[in-house]
Amino acid sequence: MATVTLQDLTKVYDRSAPPAADRVSLDIGDEELMVLLGPSGCGKTTTLRMIAGLESITSGSLSIDEQVMNQVPAKDRDIAMVFQSYALYPHMTVKDNLAFGLRRRAVPRAEIERRVKEIAETLELSPLLGRRPHALSGGQRQRVALGRAIVRDPKVFLFDEPLSNLDAALRVSTRGEIAALHRRLGATMIYVTHDQVEAMTLGTRICIMSGGRVMQVGAPLEVYHAPVNTFVAGFLGNPPMNLIPARVAEGDGGRRLAVAGESLVLPPARMPALGPETALTFGIRPEHVTLRRDGAEAGASLAAEVLQTEALGAETIVLAALREDRAAKVMARVAGDAGFRVGESCRLQFDLAAAHVFGAEGDVLRPR
Amino acid sequence: MDVLKKSILLLLLSGYTLFAAGPFVWAAMMSLRTTTEIHYDHFGFPDPIHWEKYPEAWFNSNYAIYFTNSTQVVLAAVIIVTLIGAMAAHCLARYRFKLNRLVYFVLFSTIIFPPQITIISLFQILVQYGLYNSKLGLTLVYVAIQLPLTVYILESFFARIPSDLFDAARMDGYSDWQIFWKVSLPIAVPAVATTVILNFILLWNEFLFAVVLITDEVNRTLPLGIQRFIGDTQEDIGMIATGLMIAIIPVIVVYAFFSEKLIQGMTAGAVK
Repeated sequence: MATVTLQDLTKVYDRSAPPAADRVSLDIGDEELMVLLGPSGCGKTTTLRMIAGLESITSGSLSIDEQVMNQVPAKDRDIAMVFQSYALYPHMTVKDNLAFGLRRRAVPRAEIERRVKEIAETLELSPLLGRRPHALSGGQRQRVALGRAIVRDPKVFLFDEPLSNLDAALRVSTRGEIAALHRRLGATMIYVTHDQVEAMTLGTRICIMSGGRVMQVGAPLEVYHAPVNTFVAGFLGNPPMNLIPARVAEGDGGRRLAVAGESLVLPPARMPALGPETALTFGIRPEHVTLRRDGAEAGASLAAEVLQTEALGAETIVLAALREDRAAKVMARVAGDAGFRVGESCRLQFDLAAAHVFGAEGDVLRPR
Repeated sequence: MDVLKKSILLLLLSGYTLFAAGPFVWAAMMSLRTTTEIHYDHFGFPDPIHWEKYPEAWFNSNYAIYFTNSTQVVLAAVIIVTLIGAMAAHCLARYRFKLNRLVYFVLFSTIIFPPQITIISLFQILVQYGLYNSKLGLTLVYVAIQLPLTVYILESFFARIPSDLFDAARMDGYSDWQIFWKVSLPIAVPAVATTVILNFILLWNEFLFAVVLITDEVNRTLPLGIQRFIGDTQEDIGMIATGLMIAIIPVIVVYAFFSEKLIQGMTAGAVK
């Protein structure tokens, strides 16, 4: 249906402040669901609004199907958007809300009737067509907002945090609906969220943003397993990746790390050979950390003390501080019945085949 | 205890109702009595009832003309002030542009001046443009004096409409002009009704500008007509009361028609 290309897209609101979106470049393929993910103020919504035509573009270019859209007004871009607040017209019935966009486009009356009816049936809105938005529940409003976008059959769908006003259970089911919708319509979709679960489950690809810039673009698991910098590593995953300050020590071909008075030797596949005393950050995901009782045979490990445990049933999240560097804290995801107590000494064993090493600037260091 | 509480409440409410409605009922009774009867007994019940005073006021005392004039001037002024006010308010609430707040402040600050200050210069301007002693001139003056309040009320209402709605309408393919008519204005109906009713009542009863800017009998509005029954040496109280009742009827009708919307407008903040 449509491809969307962002070339150095920049938005400056206030010349004295850094740009809200800074040279964002992104290729969104046909039928792709691209998730823009990042914390509040990272520029993801600004980027989305520039694509929608609701914000002017300061510099750079935006193309849809290889046609530059910078100067095309929002109403002529053939894009539909689902808003965080749903933005249903309060003075219109559900039916009129669905039909409003079609009426503007001079679609014949019978055709409007047919499409509204069809959409209402798929989204189970048929009994609600005569109601006003204030008489609907949050989930129903959300479905009307979705329906209003779908009924127009646009080139591109934009979603601006559409699930953040729903309660937890509804969020999961609506997430499923959006995924099903994407499969069924085969449409190009751009989805903004700060929720990494939504990003991981929905996205064909994820674009992680911070401070107005694109940090990394890739398939969900690719981004998860190979983060390009400490921001991405620390943002994705719950709990996020452990990031521990380290130095390169003598020996073992430049792959020996000095961490909190002990040392770890990383496999050649995970780290390039570096000169001694290079400062860097050692990263490891909580699921690649195992707890061993003091004195047990533990291989690549560091001495630590348990600070806090969160028993979640199937698993337990353990927060531990390294014994020789109490400021360095490590989260571990262990079995639900592991039975470690707060204050207990232990050894943190690392699966170094899944370790990451980041340079002083935060960028990942990978062997050539 | 409960009965006592209710009785006290009922007593208070009855007292207030008497206080509020008393003068109105009194004037209504006087409108059906002759001036001689009124002088004999100020608070008497109309007996016999002089219905004929109404046709007399209407046909012989030119009330038909005054009523038509008032209707023309006030309706035109209310329609114009509502449209211009709503557009201005929409613009001030919705668009960020340089001097937005300055325009708003200048417009609104005219409210603080007593109307007497502007009346001489208004008189001059109307004479200059040949609008003095004309219904069109009075209409334009009415629009000007009611515009600030109208913009003030509507601006605060428009500002509360979430901007996502406008964005959604833009995505749905509507231009700013269409968005005003199809989204802003319909949503603002309670607030618009509030300004309509307020402007209607204020202008319907407006006396100061009318008495200064209108001199011809054929252009007089109702408040000026009622004044005609007050002579240099005597007042025709009975006919003043009849004229008052004729003048009040449209206000009651408008209020009854719009009051539900008015209450909605006043409580609009409570609704999401």
